[in-house]
Order: sequence, then C-alpha cells, then structure tokens
Amino acid sequence: MTAGPTDTATLEPLPPPEPEPPAPRRLPPARWVRENLFNTWYNSLLTVVLGAALGWAALRALRFVFFGARWEIIQTNLTLLMVGRYPRDQLFRPWLAILIVSAAAGLGAGLAARTAPRPARWDAFKRAAPGLALLAVLAAFARTPLPALLVAASVAACLAARTAGTRLPDKAARWLPLVYLGTVVGAYLALTAGGPGWDSWGGLLLTLYLALGGIVLSFPIGVLLALGRRSSFPAVRLVCVGYIELIRGVPLITLLLMGQFMLGFFFPQGFPRPGLVVRALIAIVLFTAAYVAEIVRGGLQGVPKGQSEAAQAIGLSPVKTTVLIVLPQALRNVIPALVGQFISLFKDTSLVAIIGLLDLLFVAQAITQQPGFLGQGLQAEVLVFASFVYWSFCYSMSRASQRLERRLGVGER
Amino acid sequence: MLRAAFQVAFVVLVGALLWYLLGNLRTNLRVSGLPTGFDYLDRPAGVDIRDSPFRPSQPIRDAIVVGLVNTVRGSVVGIALATVLGILVGVARLSTNWLVRKGAAVYVETLRNVPVLVTIIFMYTAVVLRLPPISRASEWLGLIVFSNRGLVVPWGVAGTGARAFTGVVGGAFALAVIVGLWRSRRFDETGEPHHRVLWGGAVLVIVTAAGYVAFSRPVTLTLPTREGRIVQGGIQLGPEYAALLIGLVLYTASHIAEIVRGSILAVPKGQTEAANALALSGFQRLRFVVLPQALRIMLPPLANQYLNLTKNSSLAVAVGYFELTRITGQIIANANPAPQSIAILMLLYLALSLLISLVANIVNRSLALETR
Amino acid sequence: MRSGVVGLLTLALALALAAAGCTTDGGQGAQPAGDVAPPGGGQAAQQRQERNLLDRVRSRGELVCGVNAEVPGFGFTDEQGNFSGFDVDYCKVIAAAVLGDAEAVEFRPLSTEQRFTALQAGEIDVLSRNTTYTASRDGSEGAAFVTTTFYDGQAMMVKADSEFQRLEDMQDTAICVLSGTTTELNLASRFAAGRIAYQPVPFEDNETLQQAFEQDRCDGWTSDRSQLAGVRSNRPNPAELRILDEIFSKEPLGPLVRDGDQDWYDAVNWAVIATIQAEEFGVTSRNVEQMKDSDNPEVRRFLGQPGGDDNTVFDPGLGLDPAFAVDVVSQVGNYGEIYDRNVGPDTPLGLERGLNALWTDGGLHYAPPYR
Repeated sequence: MTAGPTDTATLEPLPPPEPEPPAPRRLPPARWVRENLFNTWYNSLLTVVLGAALGWAALRALRFVFFGARWEIIQTNLTLLMVGRYPRDQLFRPWLAILIVSAAAGLGAGLAARTAPRPARWDAFKRAAPGLALLAVLAAFARTPLPALLVAASVAACLAARTAGTRLPDKAARWLPLVYLGTVVGAYLALTAGGPGWDSWGGLLLTLYLALGGIVLSFPIGVLLALGRRSSFPAVRLVCVGYIELIRGVPLITLLLMGQFMLGFFFPQGFPRPGLVVRALIAIVLFTAAYVAEIVRGGLQGVPKGQSEAAQAIGLSPVKTTVLIVLPQALRNVIPALVGQFISLFKDTSLVAIIGLLDLLFVAQAITQQPGFLGQGLQAEVLVFASFVYWSFCYSMSRASQRLERRLGVGER
Repeated sequence: MLRAAFQVAFVVLVGALLWYLLGNLRTNLRVSGLPTGFDYLDRPAGVDIRDSPFRPSQPIRDAIVVGLVNTVRGSVVGIALATVLGILVGVARLSTNWLVRKGAAVYVETLRNVPVLVTIIFMYTAVVLRLPPISRASEWLGLIVFSNRGLVVPWGVAGTGARAFTGVVGGAFALAVIVGLWRSRRFDETGEPHHRVLWGGAVLVIVTAAGYVAFSRPVTLTLPTREGRIVQGGIQLGPEYAALLIGLVLYTASHIAEIVRGSILAVPKGQTEAANALALSGFQRLRFVVLPQALRIMLPPLANQYLNLTKNSSLAVAVGYFELTRITGQIIANANPAPQSIAILMLLYLALSLLISLVANIVNRSLALETR
Repeated sequence: MRSGVVGLLTLALALALAAAGCTTDGGQGAQPAGDVAPPGGGQAAQQRQERNLLDRVRSRGELVCGVNAEVPGFGFTDEQGNFSGFDVDYCKVIAAAVLGDAEAVEFRPLSTEQRFTALQAGEIDVLSRNTTYTASRDGSEGAAFVTTTFYDGQAMMVKADSEFQRLEDMQDTAICVLSGTTTELNLASRFAAGRIAYQPVPFEDNETLQQAFEQDRCDGWTSDRSQLAGVRSNRPNPAELRILDEIFSKEPLGPLVRDGDQDWYDAVNWAVIATIQAEEFGVTSRNVEQMKDSDNPEVRRFLGQPGGDDNTVFDPGLGLDPAFAVDVVSQVGNYGEIYDRNVGPDTPLGLERGLNALWTDGGLHYAPPYR
C-alpha cells in the first residue's frame, strides 16, 4: 500500500509553532522603522498602500463596534445566546458547572506550573487575553450585576485552586487525571441530574456540549478503528478502511441530515427514537471517529518498530504489546493533532443550526426575527458577536496546542 | 483456523447489521407508500432552479446533474481562488516587512478560528445583501453592473462557428504546450535561453487570433446594460453564489496560508543560504529554490484542504445557492423518498472526494519522481 | 490501491441500495400496507404495531406534532420557546381528543422541506403546518389529509412604496418564494399564464427569505395570504408592506397523517371536525359545562352525555373517549374561538372569516353529522 496524499493529510501538522523570537535587539525607533518597514523601495510602497488600507479597515471596524452597532439585541438576548431555552429557574446548574470546571482548570494549571518554566508575565497575559476578552465582553452585555459577580467568583475559584495546586505535594500530580474525570462527571451531573433534558439545551451550552461530547465519545471508537485498520485480519481491515474512507468522503451536513430524516426509516415503527440533540451528537461522533482514527493511525505509524519487537522479545502478548507499549507512545505523539481535531469539531458544531438545533449560531440568527428587532438589519451585530465567541475559544485552544506541541517536542525527534 | 473463524464471524456480524437496517428501510418505505426503487428519478422535478435554464418539466435526474455542476462550479473556482490567496498570504507571513507580516497573521488567525458557516452567512446577510438594490445598481464604465441581485460582467456570446473556434483554441493551447516542451528540451541540450512562456504564449495568441479571423467573429462580447429592474447581456454571478464563494475562499485560504508558511519554513535553511551564496535575488531564491521544494511538502495537506473546500460547499444550503445538497433537499420536499435521495447525495460527494484524491495522488507521484 | 478498496466499497453500497430497491419494486403500490394481511410473522407483527398509532400515542402519553415555528398566527415560537398559533392549537385539539390533555404535545418545528420526510419516517404523529391538500401529496407523499381547517389562497406581498398594483405590473421582477411548496408551483403557472417574465428566488426558510426581501433582493414575496398577513403583522410597521388583492390559487390547509393507519386517521379527523361541530352547536369553552345539560339531544350526544330513549352514552367507535368533544372544547375551544384567538379581526393579522365561516354563514366549514 502506497501512502496517498490524504493518508498524511489528516496528520497535517498543526502549523509549526511561531519561531521563538530572537533575543530582542533594542533598536532605536527610527532604525527599527527603516529596517522593518522601509528597507527596500517595494517594501516602502507596500507599507504605504497596505498601511492605508488596513488603517481604513481598522477605523471602520472600530467605528462599527463602538458607535455604529446597536448591541441592545445582544444585551436583551444574552441568556438565550448562552443557554438557549434552558429553563430559567435551573440556571444555577450551568453556573455550578462553570465553577467546578474553572476550579479544576486552576488546580491543573497550578500543578503544571511547578514543573513547567514560569512564563514571562507578558506571555502569561497573552495566553489569557482571548479568554479575558470574552469574559469582559460578556460582562459588558450582562444587564444585571449577578453574572459579573458569578464570573468573578469563578475566576477567584480558579486562582485559588491554582495557588493550592502549586502548594500540593508532588504525589498529588498523579491524581490529576482522576480529578479531570471527576470534573467532567461532576459538571455533567450538575447540568443533568434531575435537570432539564438535552432537548432544552441551546446556545453556547449546546455548542460546547456537542463539541466535548463529540470528541470524548469518538475517541475510543477512533482508536478501535485505527487499530482495526492496522489489523492483521484482512476482513477487519477492509471494514475499517471502508468506514473511515466513506465517512471522510462526505460532508458532515449529509450525516446530520441522515440522522434527522433517515434514522426513522432504519428502525421498526415504535422503536424508541432519541431526541434531536442526541441524534446530532451521534452523527457528530460517527463523523469525528473517522478523523480521530486517521490521527491515531499516524501516531501508531510513528512508533518505531523496535518498540513492539522489543515487547515481543520480553514475552508480552500482542494485546499487551499494543495496550502497554505501542498505544501510549502513539497517543502521546498525536495529542496536538487531536486538539486540532477538537478545534475543527468545535467549529463544525455550527452546522447543527442548519438542521434546526438551537445552537449559538441558530439563536444568533433567530433573534434578528424577534418583533422588536425585525427588519432593522442587525445581522452584522449578531454574527460578529457569534464569531467573536467562536474565535476566542478556537484561538485560545490553537495557541495552547502549539505550546503543548513545543513542550512534548513532537517532530523534534 | 481461529483467525479465519473470527473474520467470518466479524463479517457476518457487520453484514447482519446492515441487512437488518436495510430490511427495516424497505419495510418502512413500503408502509409509507413510498417508492422503494430509483424510478422516481424519471419523474418531472416540477420546480425552477435559479440561475439555470432548467425547466420544471425536466426529470429529477437532470436536476441532480444541475446540482452537481453547481457544486463543481463552486468548488473549482473556490479552489483556484483560495490557492492564489493562500499562497500570497502564506508568503506575506514570512515577509521582511513588519506590517505585511502582521497583517497576514491577523487575517489568518481571525478567519481560521471562526466557523466557515458563520463566515458564509455573514457574507450573505451582512455584506452581499447590503449591496445597493437593483434600482440603484452601480455601473462601472458600462462594463460591470452590480447590485444585491448579483454581479453582471461582460461575457462572450457564441456566434456561428463557435464550436469550431473552441476546437481551435484547444489546439492552440496544446500546440503552445508542445512548443514550450520543445524549448525546454532545447535548453537542456544546448543551454540557449529557453523563453518557454514567451514562445508558448506567442503561439497561443497567434493561432487564436488566426482562428478568430478565419471564423469571422465566432464569439462576440456583450456588455451588461441595466433597464429598470433587469440587466441585459453579460453573465450574472448570483449573490448567493458570491457569498458562498467569498466565505469558502477566505476560510480555506487562511488554512492554505498556514500550510504554505509551514512548508517554506520546512525547506532546509542551507538551501536559502546556498541561494544567497549564488547571489540570487530574493525573488529568484523564492521562485527557483525555495518554492519548488516547499511545493512537494505542501501538496498532501493542500489536497486535504481542496477536499474540505469541496465538502464545505454543501454549506450553501444556508444561503440558498442551488448546489447538490440544496437541490437534494428540494427534491425530498417534492414528494420524493428521502433515503434514496440522500444515498445518491452521499455517493456523489464520495465520488468527488475520490476524484480529488486520485488527482492529488497522480500529481504527488509525478512530482516525487522529478526529484530522483 | 486504497482508492480501489474504497471504490469497491462504494460499489457495494450502491448495489446494496439498488438491491433493497429492486427486490420490492413489484410490491410497491399494489399493497398499501394496512389493507392486505401480509404473510410472514415478523412483518405482520410489525404492521399490526404500525396500524396502532392510536394505542402507541396513548401509551406514550404524548402527541408528537410537526409544526411551523416561523409564521405568526399559525405556528410561532416566542423567546421562551412556547409555541402558539392556529396550527399549534390544532395539535392541542388532537391531544385533547386522544389523550384528554391539550398540553400533552411535543412540538417539532419543521421546515417545508423536512415536513413530509418527518411524517413518512414516523418521526411525528401528525403534521399541522399550513400544508396544502393536493392530489399528489395524498397520492405519492404517503400522506392522508383530514378535514381542512383553513381555506386559503395564494397572494403576493410587495413593499408599500413600490409601483406594483396588480400581478401584471410585475414584469421582469424577482419573486421570493419558499421552495418545496405548492406556492412555488402556482407561481410558475400563474406567471406563465399571464406571460409575466420573472425570476424565482426560492429559499428554504422564511428567515433567510425575509432578510432577502427586506434588502430588496426580490420585488415580491408570494405565499398563502394568511401567512403573508402573519409575517406582515409581525413587523414593527406593517404599513410598509402591501398585499396585492388578487388571490391566484386554492390553498385548503389542514392537518395530515401518514397513509395506511385508518384508526389514527379517523381519530384525528373527528377531533378536527369536533371543533367545527361545536361552533355549529354554539358550544364554546365557556359554556361547555352548561351545554352538557342541554335540551338538544344532538348536543348531548355530541358531548358524550347520556341521552336518547334508553339514556345511554353514544359511542361512534372512533377509539376516542365518548366525551372527547368536551375535552377539546373546554381545553382549546371551538373553531370560531381558535380562529378569533389566533388570526381573527382582533389579532394583528386581522383576517375576516370569509371562506372560513360556517356553511350557515356562507362559508365552507361543514361538519358531517355526529351520529
């Protein structure tokens, strides 16, 4: 089997990390400008033309954001955008989930901070900037002080847990995976136990749920498919290859449509049918699993053959060889690629708006049709807001994955 | 023996599952009184398709073909534009000019992290639809008319002998390539300057011009003119198509730019240094040393982006451009069975994906051979 | 090589689908499911189960009803996600008749393109979403229409400041229309008959269509007159839009169920008829309790009260509670109440009864005798 282009394509490396800036040479401003903006005649021309164009665009954008845009539509509908039709008397649940997650994240960061080199203050700020910007924007749109207070409480919990994390004994780090697992389960229970069903979830909450649920559930399936694709049984290989290539050859929207309209045809009448959100989740999981499989396969191929040979030499069974020796090394290498997949999944969840699920994008479009806002041309406002929310999540994650890639030293061996 | 038994069991299990699902599908279709075959494809579609000569009396299969053509139209043009823009931005990210570098970075980091569907919808509702209405359409130099009903540009109208003229142009193109190849060989053998582009271009222009004269104006240009609410002449790009195209291109180009940047950085530094040592200019270094090597690295991920763009063209459903997915939805809405229609839809996308993979494989192989 | 494998699989999938089609081609149409007792245990059981949607809805305790979420007055969702409107009320009527509880409804918002598939696939029990009763829908969509609830016709809406007064003025215009609707088909035939050159601009949902219309992407918006009135009423300033007088099609709208389940069809149909019958009898949600003791034996029979010579309760054998009409009228109302509440003269839509009056008032609504 020759490796075709698409074989390596899914392993498309995340863009290489920004080269570490060389030790800053302090140049006098005049010289810096000459060297970086006007070093040749065409660069001077470019600087002038592009500078004018960018300046004009930036001015327009700023004018829109601060003067032109009518943001009342976001203020009025902020809750709807965040949680959709989640019952308003149950809102303590998402807040509880946020508290749990931020505390766990803080703890993790605190534990990690003890081993990782301490980032410069400016770097630390740059890392947190998109998230802080999002919080600031959301707080600005909130009409009551309560959300701001709760956000502050979450940030405080995060910082407190971080401090606690740095003080914990070394051994505690070993329990971190368990803490994360507990967090996921805890946040999930906070949202669901005795609470409203999935079909009432909406807005950003639904977007996050579909993305997180999608990646978590598709991971085991993807690993199995990847192992199946490298299986020594031709029949298993054939089925796995068939599945992976079939799914990767069609757009996600066709799978979502299939879940919405065709699922009913595939089961006997009267067979219990899952709700719309669960169906969309199933389609997303089936879709993502094929991509995860290709990523994991890339990782498996990257493990030197000597490893499995050595494992066999010391008498490990094939299953043990795979589970104990090969998979851990393979998975470690593909973590950045998996984060990349998660980012694209996060963006892809916006497709459920097309089939009528009330995710962030759907709500954003729907609120322009409310009697109070109808026909006023507010599409730009709501879409800019939705874009910003998507952007702040995706941008922070892609930055985090680049740092991770550097730390793990992927591609440097 | 055990291995064989396991495999048989596995295949039987998968087969049984498929059999069960398909059996249910069959029963359910019959219970609903829906056709279980594909005969419905011959029924008249009964609807108009915007921006196409399709008539409601034509059969459904023709409507699917129109959808496929529109999908290809969106994808091919999108791929071409995204590649050009992507390479430009990718190179710009490595510019020595600080402003160019940062401007490109802002573009990439913004567009790459926003869902393409949001970009497409934004382009439609917040940009294209906000263009001047037809009553106040902009007209530039009598060449271009644009409004939120579309962009109309001059276009050729086929006269008599247009078909033969097309043949001549094709022949001229082939001839130009042959001449170019001949010049290349000449250059390899004797070392005299090849001027391939000059020679080939001259052949193309001369033969085409001769054909144009010989067939006495086989193609004439029509200019768009607005009369009230309609625009006569020229060719129209619908606003929905424009929104889809802009959204897809902006999004995909941001990914291609990253691939281009990564590939250029992946070319060993020694190559650049060697080029500098040979006193090549900055452009020559890029054109003859760095880009050809980067091309080989970037091809596989680039092919993947082309695949993504083609699949993402299905998001046109959100703005109402009549491509494959949209037309399938319309067919389903008009008394036709969904399962078969969606199966056809998926098979067609699969075929498109395979086609792109195949082309990418061939190109990849031919490039790989060139190095040895 | 890899492409070869995939190609093979694709072929296999295609063949499987084709096989699924071919093997049953002969049976299509010849055997509508419910009528002929099918051979074979498994299938028979399945079809028996299939026939019994009425029982399934009862055991589920909830009616799944496909509705519109975008047309004020007929089917619309507010900020909190509550559905309201004329068609929505008919979901409640059916739930009240079948389950005795008008609130036991799960609403499933559907687009024009999704609605029939959802019904065919058994995703919804009934579709109540301003759907026009046509022969081909009854014939090949696998749908069965019950009594019409709203007699409508197609109209054209334009901006109030435009020069269009009649359809004939609309030469060389672009017309926005929802795709997959009878309106799309009527538009083509009406404009062809009037030799009016136009460009159709079809959309899948009212939301995008409205934005396009707003921005002058098209000159006219054609749809059922009641829908246009609903959309118009929802605007901050309805006077900006004008609906042309000409009605150029017949659009009888009503709920529909899936073909092949006569019991369910009957139950839904008579739930709908009961609202019309109630108005004929003058039974309203307010006086229904008094009317139970009415002197009129017809009314007493209709409301499931003991009466007649042997003082028994009349049960027509519809599989509904004999007093289902009481539940319907007390919880939702009679036809006139439903109409007035959602689309009548006192609502923003302001639609006169017209064709939708009772036959006694010169309209078309006429309930078959309940006996």
